[in-house]
Amino acid sequence: MEDKKVILSVKDLVVKFRLRGKILTAIREASLDLYEGESLAIVGESGSGKSVFTKTFMGLLDANGWVDSGSIMFEGQDLAKFKSEKDWLKIRGKNIAMVFQDPMTSLNPLKTIGKQVQEAVELHQGLRKQEAKEAVIEILKDVGISESERRYKQYPYEFSGGMRQRVVIAIAIACKPKILICDEPTTALDVTIQAQILNLLKRLKDKYNLTTIYITHDLGVVANVADRIAVMYAGDIIEIGTCEEVFYNPQHRYTWALLSSLPQLGIKGKPLHSIKGTPPNLFYDIKGDAFAPRNPKALKIDFIKKPPYFSVSPTHKAKTWLLDPRAPKAEPPESIAALRKQWRMIKND
Amino acid sequence: MLRYSLKRLAQSMVTLFIIITVVFLLLRLMPEEGYFGQAYEKLDEAQREAILTSMGLRDPIHIQLLKFYKSILSGDLGTSMIYRPKVPIAEILRAKIPYSLYFGLTAVLISLVAGVSLGIIMAKSKSKIWDKLGTGYIVFINAVPAAVYYLFIQLYVTDILKLPILFKPDNPSSWILPAISMSLGGTASYAMWMRRYMVDELNKDYVRLAKAKGLKSKAIMVRHVFRNAFVPMAQYLPSTLLYTISGSIYIESLYSIPGMGGLLVDVIQRQDNTVVQALVLIYSSIGIIGLFLGDILMALFDPRINLQKKGGAR
Repeated sequence: MEDKKVILSVKDLVVKFRLRGKILTAIREASLDLYEGESLAIVGESGSGKSVFTKTFMGLLDANGWVDSGSIMFEGQDLAKFKSEKDWLKIRGKNIAMVFQDPMTSLNPLKTIGKQVQEAVELHQGLRKQEAKEAVIEILKDVGISESERRYKQYPYEFSGGMRQRVVIAIAIACKPKILICDEPTTALDVTIQAQILNLLKRLKDKYNLTTIYITHDLGVVANVADRIAVMYAGDIIEIGTCEEVFYNPQHRYTWALLSSLPQLGIKGKPLHSIKGTPPNLFYDIKGDAFAPRNPKALKIDFIKKPPYFSVSPTHKAKTWLLDPRAPKAEPPESIAALRKQWRMIKND
Repeated sequence: MLRYSLKRLAQSMVTLFIIITVVFLLLRLMPEEGYFGQAYEKLDEAQREAILTSMGLRDPIHIQLLKFYKSILSGDLGTSMIYRPKVPIAEILRAKIPYSLYFGLTAVLISLVAGVSLGIIMAKSKSKIWDKLGTGYIVFINAVPAAVYYLFIQLYVTDILKLPILFKPDNPSSWILPAISMSLGGTASYAMWMRRYMVDELNKDYVRLAKAKGLKSKAIMVRHVFRNAFVPMAQYLPSTLLYTISGSIYIESLYSIPGMGGLLVDVIQRQDNTVVQALVLIYSSIGIIGLFLGDILMALFDPRINLQKKGGAR
């Protein structure tokens, strides 16, 4: 991973929203380096800021939100400084494209599938009329829509959910982007369709050499598609590492809690672990480690000072005081300890 | 589409038949004094009988009804009985309809263009100054009785702009204010619905996707949002256009325009049965045709609407 080129670099990003006269901080100094060609998954519970974080890369924040500070470097430009629509039009689609969560509502109900994909083709590939139409039919085939000539003329209501998501993906691909952001691409779909869509995304990523970001709270999806995982909590990335590192050797107490809540990791006969309390209220300033109030074993310093990143390996780092050499030795819960044992076995092999 | 249209047409004919029959019968239940108006006192019993007989009102009811059907089927609306005795109804209407139609259509056109544009501007600047001004206008128009601002316009605006107070067919400047006054209400309601549907559409996911695709917001508005927002309004457009034929009672009496406004009320009061029947026939046909055209227009705009299958889109 080290030798790979950084394609998008986010530094200390702060995003705020004005809501009913009050100001809410949705992203709190989050940083992220995205490497070219990789597949990164951002996980976290609802409201942790996963979607908002990636929306800032495309200038798609709602009207009441703004980037307060920090930078988003992409090809020598700081996207955080973009203000006008004209600036964003250079990025949207062409460089960064997005697949949204709900395919049932993501398409314009009054336009044919073909025309909606064609818009992207005409905009970003500079093709016109017949040429563009042929390109669209080719792309539709590519995303697994059979009889694409006939399907070209059909309307969204004639498609099932899974097929519509393929169309949404086709629109994203038609833009020929460098980075593809998939915002919970399978959440709204049937379980049987989910796997098909994930396989499709994986295949397209290889074919078009895309860099992909998956936003999800489904850790099953993560294991399936991602090279690296970023765990988000209360608007910050608190742990990031390769899939194996985060799954088998998690460092942050929140990551422990998150993984312990997985039904697959539950211990038979014992109640399933659940994280007590609620995520912090983002209207207030958060002091120290955002997870501390929900963490029964929080250290004193967790309430006072925000932890910096501590490196576990060149590719794995976490924001937790537990990794400070002065911290007391903390024993992870049973299920996490079991994972670590497996991790050591893998490493020794 | 053709089969649907034919089926719809047959249904409409039945509806129309029922309407005119019921109205015809109801009219025969009116008190007989009504046919004479002020003259009732001056006439003796025999004279009254003679008049009623001459008007055909002494025939058995089924004979009257059959006569009525026959004349309608042959395209004859009959002659007026009291309003303008012995004058063919078609002639009365022919003189009046053009005025109402002219003012009505102009007003609908103005309110459609002004209302839809205002609605779009309001939706685009939601919660900002234009939206607030527009809302102010809509609230004003809906809260204040139309007669009030019609009167104010006639009294003061004619003065300020040096326009004539009354309508004269050969003076084009006297056509302006009635048409504008008439369009104010329509403008407000088109603006209100357009804004509402636009805001609804702008918050939909497909707009976000169009944005993420890299489309300019202008293109998103024109190619995606507008059409979706306009569909629910399209349905009522044909009826609105057709109903302009009935004219506006207020405006026409205010500016003394010799149009259709008030004619129906007038002839009902004077119990001119044949004219009432003719007007009911015309208005109900218009209503039925308007609804039908509205359905067709909706189907043209929105592919999800399938007029032939019950249940429509999945």
